[in-house]
Amino acid sequence: MSNDFQTWVNVAAYIGGGAAMGLGAIGAAIGEGYTAAYANSAISRSPNLSGEIFKSMLVGQAVAESASIFALVIAMVLLFTEFSSQSFLMIFVPLSAGLSIGFGAIGSGVGSGFPAGAACMGISRQPAMSAKLTTNMLIGSAVCQTPAIFALVTSFILLFTDFSSSPVSPTWAAILGAGLASGLGAIGSGLGGGLVAGASCDGIARQPKSATTVTNVMLLGQAVTQTTAIYGLLISFILMFKTFAPTDSIAAAMALLGAGLSIGIGAIGPGIGEGFTAQSAVSSIAKNQKATAEITRVMLVGQAVSESTGIYALVISLVLIFVI
Amino acid sequence: MQELGKVHQLIISIFGHNMVFNLEAIAMTWIVFAILILFGFFASRKKSRLPGPLQAMGELFVSQLFALTEDALDKDLAKTYGPMITALFMFLLLSNWIGMIPYLEEPTKDLNTPLSLGLMGFVIAHYAGIKSKGFKTYAKAYFEPIFFMMPLNLIGELAKIVSISFRLFGNIMGGSIIILVVSYLTYSVILPPFLNAFFGLFVGGIQAFVFTMLTVVYISVQVK
Repeated sequence: MSNDFQTWVNVAAYIGGGAAMGLGAIGAAIGEGYTAAYANSAISRSPNLSGEIFKSMLVGQAVAESASIFALVIAMVLLFTEFSSQSFLMIFVPLSAGLSIGFGAIGSGVGSGFPAGAACMGISRQPAMSAKLTTNMLIGSAVCQTPAIFALVTSFILLFTDFSSSPVSPTWAAILGAGLASGLGAIGSGLGGGLVAGASCDGIARQPKSATTVTNVMLLGQAVTQTTAIYGLLISFILMFKTFAPTDSIAAAMALLGAGLSIGIGAIGPGIGEGFTAQSAVSSIAKNQKATAEITRVMLVGQAVSESTGIYALVISLVLIFVI
Repeated sequence: MQELGKVHQLIISIFGHNMVFNLEAIAMTWIVFAILILFGFFASRKKSRLPGPLQAMGELFVSQLFALTEDALDKDLAKTYGPMITALFMFLLLSNWIGMIPYLEEPTKDLNTPLSLGLMGFVIAHYAGIKSKGFKTYAKAYFEPIFFMMPLNLIGELAKIVSISFRLFGNIMGGSIIILVVSYLTYSVILPPFLNAFFGLFVGGIQAFVFTMLTVVYISVQVK
C-alpha cells in the first residue's frame, strides 16, 4: 500500500469531492420535492391549468437545482484536477473547498423550493397573474441562491490560490476555517431568503395589486437576511488572505478554526430568524398595502435585533483571528 | 483556467507606501463612465414631447428611481438624493452587464468598486441623519437600549458597509467564475450564453437594484 504524499492529496480531493456532492444534493432535492408537492396540490384545485402549473414547477425546480449544480462543478474540479503536492497544505485545500460548497448548497436548495411551490399554488388561484408570479418567483429564487454563490466563491478561491509559501502550522486551520465559515454560514440565509420569497409569491397571488411593492420589500428582506452569510464570507476572506506567522502551538491554529466555526454556526440562526421576520412582513404588506412604510421599518429594526447574535459571533471570530 | 484570479496591477511607491492600482478595474470603470455620459448626452440632446427611444429610456430610469426614492424618503429629500440614486443604479447596472461583452470585465468584480460605493452610501446616510435629526439625537441612537451596547451598535453599523459591498462583489465575482469554469469544462459549447443571461443580465440586474435600494433604505433609516 502506497502511503506517499501525493496519495494523501488525492485522498483529500476525493473525500472533498464526495462531501461536496453528497451534502450539496440534500437541499436541492428537498426544495424540488416541496415544489412538486405543491404543484400537485395546485393542479388538483384547478386541473384545467395543469400545463401552466407544470411549466412553472419545472422552471422553479431548475433554479432550485442550480445550488447542487454548483456543488457538482466543484466536485468535478476536485475529481479531475491534478493537485500538486508541493506543500502539506494541499491536503486541506480540497477538503475545505468541498465542505464549503457542500454545506453552502443546503440552505439555498431548500429555500428556492418555497417560492416555486408558492408560485404554483398562486397560479391555480390567480391564473391571470401567472406571468408576474413566475417573474417574481425567478427573482426571489435567484436571490436565494446568493449564499450558495458565496460558498462557491470561497471554494474557487481556495482551489486557485497558491498557498505553498505559507507556513503550514496555522494556515491549515485557517484553510479549514475559511471553508466552514462560508459553507455553514450560508445555510441559514439560504433558508430564510426562501421563506421571504415564498411569502411574496403567496401575497401577489392573493393581492395582485400589491405586486410591485411586495417584490421590492421581498428583495429588501432577502438582502438583509443574507447579512450573516456575508459575515461568513468576510471571515473566510480574512482567513484566506491574511498571512499568519508560523507557530508550533496547536492552540494558535485552533483559534483560526474556531473563528470559522464561530461565524459559520453563528450565522445559521440569524439567517432563519430574519427570514421569518421578512416573511411575515411581506405577507402583511400584501394584506394591508397602506401600512407599507411602517411595516418595512419594523421589519428592518426586528431583523437588526435578530442579527445581533450574528454580530456577537462575528466579534468573537475577529477576536480569535486578531487578538489571540 | 490559469488566468483565474490574475489581476493587472500598477504599483507606485510613494514615501515608502505602495499604492496599488488595479488597471483593469480602472479602465472598465472609465468605459462605463464614458458610455453613461454619452447616453446622457444623446438622451437629453433633442428633448421633445414625443420622446425618441433614448429619451424614453432615460425618462424611464429617472421616473422609476425617483418614485422608489420618494416611497422611502419624503418628497423634499427625494429631490436631494434622487439624482444620486439614479446615477448609482445606472452605473451599477451597466457595470454588471458590461462583462457580457468579450474582452470587457465587470468593474464590480473588483472588491474596491463596491466597497467604495458602499462607503459613499454610508457617509451620505450618516450625513443625512445628522443633518435632519441634529447631532445629539443622532449620537444618542448608539447608546440604546443601554449605554454599554455602544461598541456592538458601532460594529453593527460598520458591518453594513461590509454586507452591502460584499453582497454585490460576491454575486458578480461568483457569476463570472462560474461562467469561466463551466465554459472551460464544456469547451464553450451551448451553455455559456445561458449562463451569461442568468448571471450577467438577471443576477446583475437584481443585484444592482438591491444595492441601490439598500442605499436608499440606509438613508431613510438614518433620517427617520
